[in-house]
Amino acid sequence: MDMLRVSHVSKSFGSHVVLDDLNFAVKEHTIYGFIGQNGAGKTTTMKMILGLLKIDQGEIEVNGQKVTYGQNKTNQFIGYLPDVPEFYGYMTPMEYLKLCGEISGMSSLDIQKKASELLELVGLKETHTRIQGFSRGMKQRLGIAQALLNSPRLLICDEPTSALDPVGRKEILDILLSIKNQTTVIFSTHILSDVERICDEIALLHHGKIAMEGKLEDLKKLQRSNGFEIECYNLQDADYLANQIAGSQRLSSTKLYYPQKTKEEMTQTMLFIVNHQMTIQKIEMCEPTLENVFMEVIEK
Amino acid sequence: MKSLYAFVKKESLELIRSGKLVLLVIISCLFGIMNPFIAKITPWLMEMMSDQLAESGMSITTIKVDAITSWTQFYKNVPLLLIIFVIIMSGILTNEYQKGTLINILTKGLERWKVIIAKAMIMIGLWTICYWLCFVVTYLYNLYFWDNQIVSHMVLGASYVYLFGIWLIALILLGSTLFRTSYGVIGFVGGVFMIVYILSMVPQIQEYLPSQLLNSMSLLLSTTYPSDYLATILITLLTSIMSIGLSLVIFNKKAF
Repeated sequence: MDMLRVSHVSKSFGSHVVLDDLNFAVKEHTIYGFIGQNGAGKTTTMKMILGLLKIDQGEIEVNGQKVTYGQNKTNQFIGYLPDVPEFYGYMTPMEYLKLCGEISGMSSLDIQKKASELLELVGLKETHTRIQGFSRGMKQRLGIAQALLNSPRLLICDEPTSALDPVGRKEILDILLSIKNQTTVIFSTHILSDVERICDEIALLHHGKIAMEGKLEDLKKLQRSNGFEIECYNLQDADYLANQIAGSQRLSSTKLYYPQKTKEEMTQTMLFIVNHQMTIQKIEMCEPTLENVFMEVIEK
Repeated sequence: MKSLYAFVKKESLELIRSGKLVLLVIISCLFGIMNPFIAKITPWLMEMMSDQLAESGMSITTIKVDAITSWTQFYKNVPLLLIIFVIIMSGILTNEYQKGTLINILTKGLERWKVIIAKAMIMIGLWTICYWLCFVVTYLYNLYFWDNQIVSHMVLGASYVYLFGIWLIALILLGSTLFRTSYGVIGFVGGVFMIVYILSMVPQIQEYLPSQLLNSMSLLLSTTYPSDYLATILITLLTSIMSIGLSLVIFNKKAF
């Protein structure tokens, strides 16, 4: 079942078109990576899903219900973590979660139980100070706790890891992975290694459209072969190879790169090396990476 | 209703922990004390200045100070209390826009009208506490020094000014949905007040305008009667309700 369906959505601010006939759907219990450059329209899309921004054209459905701008009926299914979550600084984390729980209509028993569970999960259980003194990472973790409080069917995270240090990033990603069985997650980012770590499916947003969508492995397969790299021991060998086998790029004095060559071509090159009794330091096929996929789409 | 109550609770906590409540309560008490105090020192001030005044040809006879002098001060100083109140409250919504704190709350499913209504309730509650505190302090001092019996319609007259405060609160809310900064809100409330004030110079419409409520001192002196204010009360109530209604409509269509 589709947890979220975005159909033919367009949005412009003044004459600037941000989204142009955007279409995608997210199945239940997937972690959906929403990738794009800064300003590609990721946050705009998320805010429209939440009914915070007006949809110029098209329709968005959450859990089968249509999203209406300005009203938040569908928000009962959603947990939202903004890119820079802001809280009332004069409250403690527990007080803030209580407020959130009461607003979403949970019983006080549920709030108590769920809130302490979540504070434990995000490592703020022992923090009884007011939020105003919190670091960025602590706010991000409290942001996850508040987003998960009402056990949402759909969790929307807007660049949750962009501003964090490696430890903080790992913690957030681990939390997202650990809740995958209960919740569908949409996760926007421009950090591709994060996507490769946790996402099942991705969509690449470019010029207001989905430029590419699907399972991570399938997308990587789509990419043309990446060629291979040879590293020689000395300059002479490298020069000789570059002369004899055409199509190389010099990466360094001893390093050659043959872009877009197939595996068969690599085998032939290896034969040539053996026949000429050359010694090389290493030869390897380049794996397709998400970064290359990304760059290919952007450069098109 | 539970969610509305939760949001009202949050607003009260904000008033307490941000120190706004304490600040406004202290200011209101000071204003309450100031009215009889100024009345009390008026004869002394005049005496101090009598030599100077005599030089310019004015002579001072005995100055009679009573509860009326003190209540006159009350009506003179209340507009200042209103201005302070408007300035402090001007950020009640705009601060939340600027920091982005409402986004979490709205995406939790709090209906938007509850945000406006909760903030209206909090401001009306705060105004009620501050204004009547100022009134009671002045009243008690007057009772101690002089005699409150000599003025008529004391509480009713004060209620009219109180109602004017409610009108301003409705304008704060409307301004807060129209503008994104507290300067915008102050400018809006001040602007509307200026227009009404200028219009009130036209005698034919004066008695229909909310600003007429600020002249209710004359009730105490029995130069006007409660029924003279019927039109302005109706119009003030009506425009207040319209302002709040309009802010609900605009807030529903606001992008975050």
